[in-house]
Amino acid sequence: MATLTMPVEEKKKTYEQEALITGAEAIAIACKLANVDVVTAYPIRPYDTVMQYMSQLVADGEMDCEFIVAESENSQFEIVKHASVCGARVFCGSSGIGWMYAMEVLTVTPALRVPMVCLVGNRALDDPGAFGVEHNDALAVRDLGWLLNWVDTAQEALDTALIAYRVAEDRRIFVPLAISCDGAFLTHSQALVKVPAAEQVMQFLPKYDRGDLLLHPDNVISVAPQANEDWVMEIRRQNYAVTERACDVIREVYADFERIFGRKYGNPFFEEYMTEDAEIVLLGMGTLSTPVRVAIRKLREQGKKVGFVRLRWFRPFAGAEIAKCLERFRAIGVIDRDLSLGAPDLSGVVATEVRSAMYTSAKTRPPVLDFICGLGGREVTVPDVGKMTDIVFQAANGKAQPLTQWIGLRG
Amino acid sequence: MSTLNPVEPLLRSDRLPHIWCPGCGIGITINCFARALIESKIDLDSVAVVSGIGCSGRVAGYVNLDSFHTTHGRAIPFATGLKLANPKLEVIVYSGDGDLSAIGGNHLIHAARRNIDLKVICVNNLTYAMTGGQSAPTTPEHAVSATSPYGTFEPPFNLPHLVEAAGAVYIARWTTFHVRQLTRAMSEIFKKKGFSFIEVLSPCPTLYQRRNKMGDGLDTMKFYKEKSRIRHGAPTSEVGLTLNGEIIVGKFVDRDRPDYASLMRAQYVEALGDRYVECRETTCN
Repeated sequence: MATLTMPVEEKKKTYEQEALITGAEAIAIACKLANVDVVTAYPIRPYDTVMQYMSQLVADGEMDCEFIVAESENSQFEIVKHASVCGARVFCGSSGIGWMYAMEVLTVTPALRVPMVCLVGNRALDDPGAFGVEHNDALAVRDLGWLLNWVDTAQEALDTALIAYRVAEDRRIFVPLAISCDGAFLTHSQALVKVPAAEQVMQFLPKYDRGDLLLHPDNVISVAPQANEDWVMEIRRQNYAVTERACDVIREVYADFERIFGRKYGNPFFEEYMTEDAEIVLLGMGTLSTPVRVAIRKLREQGKKVGFVRLRWFRPFAGAEIAKCLERFRAIGVIDRDLSLGAPDLSGVVATEVRSAMYTSAKTRPPVLDFICGLGGREVTVPDVGKMTDIVFQAANGKAQPLTQWIGLRG
Repeated sequence: MSTLNPVEPLLRSDRLPHIWCPGCGIGITINCFARALIESKIDLDSVAVVSGIGCSGRVAGYVNLDSFHTTHGRAIPFATGLKLANPKLEVIVYSGDGDLSAIGGNHLIHAARRNIDLKVICVNNLTYAMTGGQSAPTTPEHAVSATSPYGTFEPPFNLPHLVEAAGAVYIARWTTFHVRQLTRAMSEIFKKKGFSFIEVLSPCPTLYQRRNKMGDGLDTMKFYKEKSRIRHGAPTSEVGLTLNGEIIVGKFVDRDRPDYASLMRAQYVEALGDRYVECRETTCN
């Protein structure tokens, strides 16, 4: 085709298309572009929209892959785990308590070096049964060797899914990766998305190659043999080494993404909004960035110099870089859409991690306050953000504040 | 003269309106269940209703009885715990086909094998309705669903056959058209000792019937009326469901074998003789 000889810019114009799609649909399209081989599904809201889009793509012949609705999340994740060991590029996912029902598989997957890519449509854990977003589902695997990131828009969901395959299947990494999309706010909200051309994706994403780890009659290996005190520490150390390397690999992949697709994500690990002249910042993950940005624009009209840092990658946690970014502000307010009951200062997961990173890597010690907010799908509102900003400013001005506060709680 | 509906005391009216769609059959099954409870004159304080997750799983929240809305698939283990802790309880598991036969399928067959004294009411709408109508292990071959836009090709479970093979002592199937027979079957299982199973075919006009061009709730009732054939005692191997074929209904199995508690007692008495001291019987109060 003539277009193949065109420069990258011209090719993009020819092939890239815009589509009005939801976050879940964006992930499904990314899987199609990534030429995923095996997809397993089990219905649970809000993740299940992705399986519907994908089953339609498969049924229409647009996507050449094996698709199966398993009988539970546990077998759903088992099936892709083993397909991946046999050399198939795989996709699956879940939400809330469904993700937790797969926990047995989620636990063994990193040590088996299975680069499965999953969508977590974030949902509150039972009980009480609720459909709304909370981040504790995906965060439950944060200590197990999974890579975890949170996306904000349908565009970022599509791009990150492509990036995810490249990162997870990098031979230096080879661990599972979960992309978190806030339930309903992102999984079910439509936005205009630039859908890249298959040719671009082929250039970006090489074939999945397990090499010597491939389970195949021509490559006789034994997967997951019993190992006790004689080898367990060494096996753990291999997963630890992955986390040592992960930041560098992620940087490389984002640079390549920008080169091939032309979309810039800047620092892969976090995104800054109006921080150049900010005195204080708020920090959070996922779609709460939308009300926060709106609020910040309003607050700046009142002369309040506040910025926002949206964390993309939670695992690996780029502690040194995050500390270097945050040390220049007078105070920091972390918005946790999660709980870590009984944690130091009774703070949420993200605030505890940020404080830990600041303690070892920051030159200054600004107060790091935590706000538990938006649990169970409750909206983080513009007035909520105003309230949090005022509290952080008071801390910046030397007025002692409780380290953890609940915002948006009914009285 | 009271204008109160006779089943109203058995419902949590403060929780109404319910979440079910127009034409859904779950409400009909509750009506039958409430009438069966009234007719059976069971002490309502001794009844516990346990549901899993899904549309039918919401039943636990609408009945004015002790009830528990468990996690997905886990209604039977929860009910087993209730029955073991308080053997005098009349424990009803009220859940859907997806919950009981997919994610909870293992529990279903093991409870039947042990012959735990549970009464299982399985509302079968042939799909995962709560999550948008995906293919379930009960979806008939060739039926269209959210995950099979051009038809399902997996063979479904024949639930009566499955639970008979696993050991259930009472097995019946009715549809939401057969309200009198269903009410009678529910009354019968209250008197039956051991693992009892009623499959109730129920319409999901929003997802299953719509996608398969089978009309609304009323059309489904006509479909049930037209396609159903009562065959009490039919071999369960012959009662599998198809997309548009005959629906065999009736009481298929009514047999007796010792339930879990009796077997446990017999085994301990045999092994320990006089040394076996039976647990103090717990009461419902």
